[in-house]
Amino acid sequence: MSIFTPTNQIRLTNVAVVRMKRGGKRFEIACYKNKVVGWRSGVEKDLDEVLQTHSVFVNVSKGQVAKKEDLISAFGTDDQTEICKQILTKGEVQVSDKERHTQLEQMFRDIATIVADKCVNPETKRPYTVILIERAMKDIHYSVKPNKSTKQQALEVIKQLKENMKIERAHMRLRFILPVNEGKKLKEKLKPLIKVIESEDYSQQLEIVCLIDPGCFREIDELIKKETKGKGSLEVLNLKDVEEGDEKFE
Amino acid sequence: MVLNSLDKMVQLQKNTANIRNICVLAHVDHGKTTLADCLISSNGIISSRLAGKLRYMDSREDEQIRGITMKSSAISLHYATGNEEYLINLIDSPGHVDFSSEVSTAVRICDGCIIVVDAVEGVCPQTQAVLRQAWLENIRPVLVINKIDRLIVELRFTPQEAYSHLKNILEQINALTGTLFTSKVLEERAERETESQVNPNSEQGEQVYDWSTGLEDTDDSHLYFSPEQGNVVFTSAIDGWGFGIEHFAKIYSQKIGIKKEVLLKTLWGDYYVNMKAKKIMKVDQAKAKKPLFVQLILENIWSLYDAVLKKDKEKIDKIVTSLGLKIGAREARHSDPKVQINAICSQWLPISHAVLAMVCQKLPSPLDITAERVERLLCTGSQTFDSLPPETQALKAAFMKCGSEDTAPVIIFVSKMFAVDTKALPQNKPRPLTQEEIAQRRERARQRHAEKLAAAQGQVHAEPTHDGSALEASPEGEQPTGVGQQLESVTPNPEPQEGDSQESFIAFARVFSGVAQRGKKIFVLGPKYSPVEFLKQVPLGFSAPPDDLPPVPHMAYCSLENLYLLMGRELEELEEVPPGNVLGIGGLQDFVLKSATLCSLPSCPPFIPLNFEATPIVRVAVEPKHPSEMPQLVKGMKLLNQADPCVQILIQETGEHVLVTAGEVHLQRCLDDLKERFAKIHISVSEPIIPFRETITKPPKVDMVNEEIGKQQKVAVIHQTKEDQSKIPEGIQVDSDGLVTITTPNKLATLSVRALPLPEEVTQILEESSDLVRSMEQLTSSLNEGKNTQMIHQKTEEKILEFKGKLEQHLTGRKWRNAVDQIWSFGPRKCGPNILVNKSEDFQNSVWPGPAGKALKEASRYRDLGNSIVSGFQLATLSGPMCEEPLMGVCFVLEKWDLSKFEEQETTDKWNKEQSDLIKGGQEEIKTCYVRDENQEQQDDCSEPFEKRTAQKGESVLTDCYGPFSGQLIATMKEACRYALQVKPQRLMAAMYTCDIMATSDVLGRVYAVLSKREGRVLQEEMKEGTDMFIIKAVLPVAESFGFADEIRKRTSGLASPQLVFSHWEIIPSDPFWVPTTEEEYLHFGEKADSENQARKYMNAVRKRKGLYVEEKIVEHAEKQRTLSKNK
Repeated sequence: MSIFTPTNQIRLTNVAVVRMKRGGKRFEIACYKNKVVGWRSGVEKDLDEVLQTHSVFVNVSKGQVAKKEDLISAFGTDDQTEICKQILTKGEVQVSDKERHTQLEQMFRDIATIVADKCVNPETKRPYTVILIERAMKDIHYSVKPNKSTKQQALEVIKQLKENMKIERAHMRLRFILPVNEGKKLKEKLKPLIKVIESEDYSQQLEIVCLIDPGCFREIDELIKKETKGKGSLEVLNLKDVEEGDEKFE
Repeated sequence: MVLNSLDKMVQLQKNTANIRNICVLAHVDHGKTTLADCLISSNGIISSRLAGKLRYMDSREDEQIRGITMKSSAISLHYATGNEEYLINLIDSPGHVDFSSEVSTAVRICDGCIIVVDAVEGVCPQTQAVLRQAWLENIRPVLVINKIDRLIVELRFTPQEAYSHLKNILEQINALTGTLFTSKVLEERAERETESQVNPNSEQGEQVYDWSTGLEDTDDSHLYFSPEQGNVVFTSAIDGWGFGIEHFAKIYSQKIGIKKEVLLKTLWGDYYVNMKAKKIMKVDQAKAKKPLFVQLILENIWSLYDAVLKKDKEKIDKIVTSLGLKIGAREARHSDPKVQINAICSQWLPISHAVLAMVCQKLPSPLDITAERVERLLCTGSQTFDSLPPETQALKAAFMKCGSEDTAPVIIFVSKMFAVDTKALPQNKPRPLTQEEIAQRRERARQRHAEKLAAAQGQVHAEPTHDGSALEASPEGEQPTGVGQQLESVTPNPEPQEGDSQESFIAFARVFSGVAQRGKKIFVLGPKYSPVEFLKQVPLGFSAPPDDLPPVPHMAYCSLENLYLLMGRELEELEEVPPGNVLGIGGLQDFVLKSATLCSLPSCPPFIPLNFEATPIVRVAVEPKHPSEMPQLVKGMKLLNQADPCVQILIQETGEHVLVTAGEVHLQRCLDDLKERFAKIHISVSEPIIPFRETITKPPKVDMVNEEIGKQQKVAVIHQTKEDQSKIPEGIQVDSDGLVTITTPNKLATLSVRALPLPEEVTQILEESSDLVRSMEQLTSSLNEGKNTQMIHQKTEEKILEFKGKLEQHLTGRKWRNAVDQIWSFGPRKCGPNILVNKSEDFQNSVWPGPAGKALKEASRYRDLGNSIVSGFQLATLSGPMCEEPLMGVCFVLEKWDLSKFEEQETTDKWNKEQSDLIKGGQEEIKTCYVRDENQEQQDDCSEPFEKRTAQKGESVLTDCYGPFSGQLIATMKEACRYALQVKPQRLMAAMYTCDIMATSDVLGRVYAVLSKREGRVLQEEMKEGTDMFIIKAVLPVAESFGFADEIRKRTSGLASPQLVFSHWEIIPSDPFWVPTTEEEYLHFGEKADSENQARKYMNAVRKRKGLYVEEKIVEHAEKQRTLSKNK
């Protein structure tokens, strides 16, 4: 047995273990912290910067190295480095603190960017900046859920922000062209979904240009298709109705 | 004292000939405000002991703390000499570069200026700037050489040295004036030359080129400063003394017995007096005689300082008695020599007298306004005076006359608006009650008291009267009697002063002609107003009441509500202001933004815009700390915009509120104002977001080490191959020349898209004609619907044709054959600098408005799908793959568009539907797979449960498990465009400023250093004729411009002033994804090669800001992480 002195201990606090089960056996490798995710995304290219040692373990914390026969039966090879690479790409990872932190921060930013992109200040029809949204998100103590997509979370954030500040989703500008006989009836059904009707024209067909909340788009689309049996059409004129160009105070 | 003299001031204002409107100009810290203090103390507004320490004109808190003036403010002073009484409207101006706009506002409304120069520092950059400003406004300057005491106390010069030093300074200033003069003469000459070229018939005889430049013919002797002309005064404002030559000439003409006129001429200059002969001789260097100035003046002052500093009691007493002065016991005993000097000198040589006497003598009164200046004020831009309408030309006479009769037209110029706390306005200020008012109130209180007593006595009977009295008393506010209460504020205008807003705006203005009366109706002419237009609209000699006037742009009609006398921090109400005076006007904030011309006649042109020496260049983004306070911020910024002559405020497309200021100090002041006065909220300040564009280029011919590509052997770098694969996912085919083929998720349609870089000229044309493209787009869309109601305007049609022609001209070559005709759309937002070209055979559609009704039937079948393709293209151009910034200069060619399967499906579906109608919804296969398409806007927004949608699914053939087909097409098109881009060499485009820098030749090198450090490129450099100023034109990336102005000023000690204007987009040559591939590159840059890739730096910064994935290691070296120890 080795002599147990402080210098030759490798503390597991500084080791990230990657595990994989194969052939009914558990294999582990010892990696550096905050490096495994980088390897997986292809940013880190040097294997030695990732692996503490090239040997494959059965249990890293106990220091039990995997038997050669087991390796061959599970992986079909006894090249430790190859096996390490396989485990690195396919095994379960412990996400380290910094990795988690950067991931959450990235998602937080991403959410803020999406919110800023989708929303406007209803008074000025101008978007809010990302920094402002980020601050507002911190004010409402929004916590990022790592397993939900950022877009879903962004929609949630918008709902919550509405309580604190003047924010609204940027409206979508649509044009419907509906056959006259069904038009009137359909219009009544569409009414609750439309925010603002900008123009109406009853010449040969009923033509409506209006602003809607983007959340209702699908409903409207389906309603029109259903009611007019494909005769009515719908056209997206503008995905976001925002003020364009710079404005100078004068 | 001030209150008493108000009547006197009003009296003086009427005597136009004895009014002097002057401003004090100088470099920062040369003693403008101190000098102003001394002058103010002579009027008894402040104590003479505090003069120079109080800085009365610096009324803002931050001005006092920082010790610099930040705004120009006016005060009216009274000065009597002999039997003449003068009114002096003194305007103190800031000296810091950042506030040179305030100087401009001050200079405009003055007739003369005092240029103050520090005797030690001499001529400084701002001295040059203010001299130039005074020159451009055509106002006459006088010179004050200040801080002479520093020569004695700090530098310990001998009188002889001091004299030569002063002479030096004077020469420098005169040299400056000289350059200004020559450049003006040369300019005039150049103008004359161009004129004569236009009509060469007039000067046919003059064939010989005249090299004399006309400089010799023009007399310039009156321009220069020289003590013997009496336009120079030597002062020490801090010690309260100052003198002109004249003062001493008077004394010595008696003492020595030489004629005053002779002394006046010789006191300054190399002359000496031969005491024995009582003769003044020219100095002979060999004899080393002291000049008169040294002998008679400086030596006396020196000896006084010497005595006081050495605390030589006897000598001081001797000097004091010989000068016939009386020094108070307190000052005489004071241990600080400064106090003693101040006490002695301010009696011996009072500074206010010296300066004000010079001002009254040498500077013109409003009556003496020169014709030249009037013409200049009235002629905007390149117009000449003669081209103005005759009604306007007639006004010149009114200017010159400056008359106060009722018939004279009232002309007032408002040079700036400044904010005052509403409470500080005279009408809202608490003022002591008059005797009658006090008596009245006492009476009322007594009555009330009696009533109360009566009510108490007969409660039942007095009930109704009690009610009545209570009602009566309530308007009085139920004032209890008390001594303190009598000083309660009385507000004559009980109307609410805009509730919470505490700021009122006062216009800083001057009457040029006529009498400004309170309540007078007057036209407010904005800077862009044109009298010509007005005269066109309104017949000559109209007499209609102005309310019926047709609306003319930039003109308003209002009444002068309140007139004020400006007294530094105080304002005094006035009933009327005669011509030639500086005044404040209240109640104009809704009509005047920053500056305006007020006139009783609409034929008056607005004055030429103020000539700002520094343009705003420091940009920051401002945001409220709490997002809910946005409205307050916007309101505050609007107020700030009005209150500051120089600031610019923008709301950008990104929603940022950008504040553009002249410099860092100015910025700080604006932010303080915003926080404490205008918005009253916490704000945060950050660098503004820097926009980028994404584009593609032709593949490069040479690599990073200038070797030809192709010859080199690729180094097998492991990651290189790995990356290439990861870029393009499966299911997308890419052929060798960049054609990307992609199929929609339901496998019904296939698109083939190729991306091509557009030539630079084309991009430029597209940028320029975005408005045209937009209107064209509207036109085509209305045509496509079969509505031909909107006829194309002839002019637009021509423009479109011209635009098309220009595009065709630049898109030549085999690659672009027919491309212009096949343009389908522009993007982003249907008017941007990117093109979608449709080259598929079976479907024709183009953006050009063709003959109406052409093949519309056929098109309409595809119209919905076509729209989806265009939408996809629009989305793709709006955010590129590199860092989600808009694209620019990219052409997407839709080569093939295969819908055959889709059509098949449609027909079979029709049949299916009939079937399914019979067997009610039975066979409908309900797929529960729901693929979330990240890029599909509409799909993400659906929050309703999936079941609901599947239930409806049977109704529409176009919907399947992947969402509506149109949506799929949008997403697919977008993806196709993205991949088509990614297979080409991508580049970032940076926004560029053009940067004009004016610099003197000696700091040229440093300017270049700063420019190159910030990746700037110098385009040209030329010398301004007649001066030693260089004008440098350079381009600078916007991303590098933060702090640029500050740095360049610091490095050149303020001698170079840049101006930044956005000009164009420029491709950054380096590839943001570049990694070394060849042997040479590998050797040259190493494996990582991330050291100098500017484009990658920018790209990663943007990606990080947006929360996109950045290819960066979280930890660079695994071994170097901090080791955490676990305690056992």
